[in-house]
Amino acid sequence: MEYKNETVSIDGGWPLSTWQWKMESIALIQKSLEALKKKKLLGLKCPGCGLVYFLPKPYCRCLSIPDEWVEIKDTGTITTFTFSGAWAYEGIEEEGATGTPLIIVGIVLDGSDTMTVCTLEDVEPEKVSVGMRIKLKWPEELLGRLDDIAHCVPA
Amino acid sequence: MAKKEVAVVGVGLSKHVSKRRDVNIAEMVWEAVSACYEDAGLKPKDTDAFITGNMPAFEGVNLPEEWGAGHWGAYAKPLLRITTGGTTGGSVAHGGYYAVASGLYDIVMCIAFEKQSDGNSTMGLNTVALADAAAQFQLGVDPGFMAAFGGGAVGVAVYQASSYMKSSGCTTQHLDKVAALCRNNAALNPYSHLKQPGLTPEEVAKTTLLQYPIRFGHVCPATDGACAMLFTTGEKARKMMDKPAYVLSVSSCSDEAAMVGIAGSGTTNTDPCVQEGCKIAAARAYELAGIKEPRREIDLAEPYAPFAHQMLMFYERLLLCDEGDAPSILDSGSMGLDGELPVCPSGGVISTNAIGASAMERVAEAAMQIMGKCGERQVKKEVRKAVAHGWGGAVNFNVVAVLSDTPRR
Amino acid sequence: MDKEVAIIAYAQTPYEADVESSREMQVLQVTRAALAAAGLKREELDTVITANNDYLDGRTISNMRLVEPSGAWQKNESKVEMDGAYAALYALTRILSGDHDIAMVIGESQASVYGGYVPGIMMLDPTFDRQRWLLNEVSAAALQARAYMNACGVSEEQLAGVAVKNLDNAAKNPLALRAMAGADVRKVLSSRLLYSPIRELMASPLCDGACAVVLASGKAAARAEKPVWIKGVGFSHDSYLTERSLAEMGSLRDAARRCYGMAGIEDPASQLDLAEVHECFAHEELMAYEALGLCAAGGGGDLLDSGATRIDGSLPVNASGGVLAANVACAAGLARIIEAAMQIRGEAGEHQVPGVKTALAHGQTGLCAQENIVYVLGGE
Repeated sequence: MEYKNETVSIDGGWPLSTWQWKMESIALIQKSLEALKKKKLLGLKCPGCGLVYFLPKPYCRCLSIPDEWVEIKDTGTITTFTFSGAWAYEGIEEEGATGTPLIIVGIVLDGSDTMTVCTLEDVEPEKVSVGMRIKLKWPEELLGRLDDIAHCVPA
Repeated sequence: MAKKEVAVVGVGLSKHVSKRRDVNIAEMVWEAVSACYEDAGLKPKDTDAFITGNMPAFEGVNLPEEWGAGHWGAYAKPLLRITTGGTTGGSVAHGGYYAVASGLYDIVMCIAFEKQSDGNSTMGLNTVALADAAAQFQLGVDPGFMAAFGGGAVGVAVYQASSYMKSSGCTTQHLDKVAALCRNNAALNPYSHLKQPGLTPEEVAKTTLLQYPIRFGHVCPATDGACAMLFTTGEKARKMMDKPAYVLSVSSCSDEAAMVGIAGSGTTNTDPCVQEGCKIAAARAYELAGIKEPRREIDLAEPYAPFAHQMLMFYERLLLCDEGDAPSILDSGSMGLDGELPVCPSGGVISTNAIGASAMERVAEAAMQIMGKCGERQVKKEVRKAVAHGWGGAVNFNVVAVLSDTPRR
Repeated sequence: MDKEVAIIAYAQTPYEADVESSREMQVLQVTRAALAAAGLKREELDTVITANNDYLDGRTISNMRLVEPSGAWQKNESKVEMDGAYAALYALTRILSGDHDIAMVIGESQASVYGGYVPGIMMLDPTFDRQRWLLNEVSAAALQARAYMNACGVSEEQLAGVAVKNLDNAAKNPLALRAMAGADVRKVLSSRLLYSPIRELMASPLCDGACAVVLASGKAAARAEKPVWIKGVGFSHDSYLTERSLAEMGSLRDAARRCYGMAGIEDPASQLDLAEVHECFAHEELMAYEALGLCAAGGGGDLLDSGATRIDGSLPVNASGGVLAANVACAAGLARIIEAAMQIRGEAGEHQVPGVKTALAHGQTGLCAQENIVYVLGGE
């Protein structure tokens, strides 16, 4: 019998819609989100090791369960960053440069032991650096959603 | 039962290219497995156990060895599946080490592979955080921000690069140099994917900026490929060959808190370039291996670096120099094939990335360099001790293996 | 193996159809409980191996989020993507290597998250079988049941008899999801037909749960109160679903042979006091009797009928209710190890069998028990 040296591609699929993830963390986070309406930042502290989680988390790596709500400040420090969207980086003209990129920063708010992310505004990209101090930029209308803490500016 | 010495007696690699449309998974893996048996002078019937792994999301197949392993000689043999994401290959190699060291299984075939072209890599990778992303959308995150946060084509490694460059003084020119060094090495490696002989840092610098600070030239390819290694006891290895490579120790460290935690709860790893886990794993691996001064005793390093900055960052986290010194060590030429401590002579993950296999291929290269089997890319100095590393998980899982030309005792 | 690796503590969550808890919290629960039972702090763990599956958890690198709740933070952790009974094997090799003394082993999944049989379908050969949408875990099992019944003359009543025994036993197990005190064959045979000959009560209920086992080296176990020693372990891989005879469990026979060799078991029927078998479907238990050498080939039905494997019989099988009482994928086999250890330690409460010194535990992975692992455990 003659074998043809030829392969055939067969279409297949992976139906993602069949998963129903469970997250009790959302119930906790919703309490923090509610507090945002009053410009309050609520983190959850672990009784075992003292770490403060913002946003709150239902378990700690030390195997204790964080249970103490603590207020954290709306100022913090940048630990990492990136830019999204092409622009003239280090003076090199990039294809499709649009001007000002979106600046995404990892921040640790004062009083929290965790890093969260948001966008940084009111600053030129070249001036952004790790270690910079920032302050959250509260929106006009506080909706009690993650959007409320999605922006910051240099402090 | 006495602890046994562990040695590598065979290595096999398949072709590594971007799309293998001429073979299915079982056939592609058999290329590596048969090459490994041939290299060792052994047959499937000699094998006491099989350990296999790949990243399940990429091919869209759950437990591919169920229909594939018969093709690799695993019928009626003990078979174990180990998967830990991007570090799978390293974790499989560690599994092989423990299987032999335990004294229960003398000849162990370790298999790691990825056939990304069979599936949808973006979708596969996204499932890392799909649940958390879905949760965050419910809580009011702007999808546009989420997409931008994700690091575009590069992924969350951009944050690691950004932070590392600040703390070490590494510049984009260093990233360009790393890429050029690795792709030139890869050109001498018959099993690598992206071979770019004569590539210069200046040429790398001209590639498109994907997402600050990473350019297209600083990033690994998506590869289809497989790696197989045969581990056995030191005693058996010495009967089979003059110069086996010994695995002195393995260690791993899970420092997982991802990038934004569950449903956006934040991560306690506040600075992505710290990679404490790598330092912990390396320290433990050196301790078990009886190495007191790694920077003096290690002759060669294969850190896992799909992104250019990681070759330098992990060189430091593998305790081979002071933090912040890797860029200047690169500048000195010491990391080259003829240098004092060659790094990624294989070309590294930045040149070849069949994800599930990549962390094993670091161990394979370390072993082959010790055994003197690397042909054109064999490093100039004698390799007595080498360190191989894997990184992955979400962002904070590190696996380390220390290999040598002499056993632990 | 002689006093080299022991089970020193364990924990199981109650098995529920849809628990009000994430898998992370269930893992946290069993980790804390097992550490407490072992009298250990998290700091004393040397290594953690979890058993979970990307397709069940709906996330790739599924172990990544389990690092913290499993006690593995900044520890040497890995993942076995098979049943937890295999994670235990990996932990065992880590301890025997001499590099680790104390290991935490965890298995988990939540059927309420993955919703049923899709992950099983994803295990099929993607080129031919998956495309036709005829095979899934249950229809494949039904084909195996039929092949076995034809080969050995086993009846549907006998299959139902396994379910009757196990579901009745489960009524004495407070953790079981499905239990039927005083169950009878008629009730089982009149339950909903899934794929002939498998009826709903002959098929294990996929559900939510987690379990944890703490393994210790001989040195570390010396301090433990009632260590249960692992006397032997064996595992084996069979050919793919459509490439082997479904009428017998070849890889279970091979796994048992390897295990018995290590444990010094020559006549399992007389040397074992109890067995916990991973029966996803009723017929699998009868097939397991034969593969484990508890009876002659083809004698599975007869062994059941003799009453020997009842909880008050000479070799009780699945006094816990087995997997027919609760099937947590990736944990069910590990739970068999726990149940066997509980029996040896006299901690099985209402479903305790008196005088268990040597027990067998079996775990499986893959369609129609393609992968099998067998342990023999012994008390002091």
